[in-house]
Amino acid sequence: MATEQSVDLVDDDTVGWFTKAVLLAALTAALAQISIPLPGALPPFSLQPFGMFFAGLLLGPLWGGVALLLYVLVGIAGAPVFSNANAGLGYVIAGQGTGGFLVGFLVGTVVAGAIAHRRTSPRPVADLSIPVQALALTAAIVVVYAIGVPWMSMVTGLSLTRAAALMAPYVPLDLVKLGVAIAIVQGGYLSGR
Amino acid sequence: MLSYRPDSTFAHRLDPRSKLLVQFGLAIAAVAHPTLPWLVGTTAFGLGALAAARLSPLAVLRAYRVVLTVLALAPLIAGIAFGPPWFRVDPALRSALYVGRILPVLLVSAAYLTSTPVRDTRAAVQRLIPGKPGQILGIGMALVVRLFPLVLADVREVRDAIHARGGETRPLWDRARLLAVRSLERTLDRSDRLSVALRARCFAWNPTLPPLSFARRDYPVLAIGIALAVSPLATV
Repeated sequence: MATEQSVDLVDDDTVGWFTKAVLLAALTAALAQISIPLPGALPPFSLQPFGMFFAGLLLGPLWGGVALLLYVLVGIAGAPVFSNANAGLGYVIAGQGTGGFLVGFLVGTVVAGAIAHRRTSPRPVADLSIPVQALALTAAIVVVYAIGVPWMSMVTGLSLTRAAALMAPYVPLDLVKLGVAIAIVQGGYLSGR
Repeated sequence: MLSYRPDSTFAHRLDPRSKLLVQFGLAIAAVAHPTLPWLVGTTAFGLGALAAARLSPLAVLRAYRVVLTVLALAPLIAGIAFGPPWFRVDPALRSALYVGRILPVLLVSAAYLTSTPVRDTRAAVQRLIPGKPGQILGIGMALVVRLFPLVLADVREVRDAIHARGGETRPLWDRARLLAVRSLERTLDRSDRLSVALRARCFAWNPTLPPLSFARRDYPVLAIGIALAVSPLATV
């Protein structure tokens, strides 16, 4: 007896955005394991925010959000994708007081993508002007700290001021990362993407 | 590092959706009730979860030692005063109580990680989130888990190549730029190849869902999860 089953194929554009989201989630996870040591008492230069920056700029709010959501979900499921190969819901909530920054990366990507592209389907990254890129990425950083610092205060019982003071040394480093991300886009490395 | 360990304990035999609900429920309850009785109760629950997964509390403490060490510094930082008496006990105790709430969340999370394969969580996500979003996230999770080691190897290779060419002497921003650009290029190339491969294999919205089913033992666990999740409402 013959059986008939219809196959609802995913259209080519969606496949393209989906695979970019998957790979940027994997890249965010990989960059979370890599940092550049800095001299003295300075915190290490983590490369993880580049995942958020490029997901927002390349994929826009929808698929960029999917990329970072996949990253967080895979970590909750048990893959060692958070910094220092950590995993689990407990790490998302607590981290080293920094669990909220993971959620901040997710929301920050959506905000960066929404500001940069102003629609759900992203436009070519080469079409984004420098002020728009700078505004989008600055807003993403603000969102990350706006979520991460109160979250840290809630987890550790520290006052908001003290939590903010603990995270303050990371702000200049994040601004350097923002500049590097814009330089990469302006350098034409992502043209045609 | 904690990861899935095959076994046949009570925790292993539970449906991943029950375990996810308990995990989220306990996290909500622990964070919403920063009181000593709740701290004791949720910690006892966390230890029970470890026993159900046949996992040693010491192994969990060892795995989370960096996290716990950093969190243990919070009460000291909270107690520091910029003037006499230089250290205040009340804020330090409050901070210790807040940090203590996190321990049971970590315990239950560890029990989940060691008793649940990643593919089961992926199946739970695919079933809990209806329609295309559930499919995208479920299949996406499977692909991220598969591709993460390859992308990590790419990034490490790029970093080693930069080192081999005397990269340490370059300015910080230049090293970061090189590492990000080369890693991104390789990642996007992989994305293009994956896209072609998925289209060649007729990537569809209606794949066969992974099999999951609730057993009788899941229902009390689900009830506990729901009770924990709604417990903050009871105190309002």
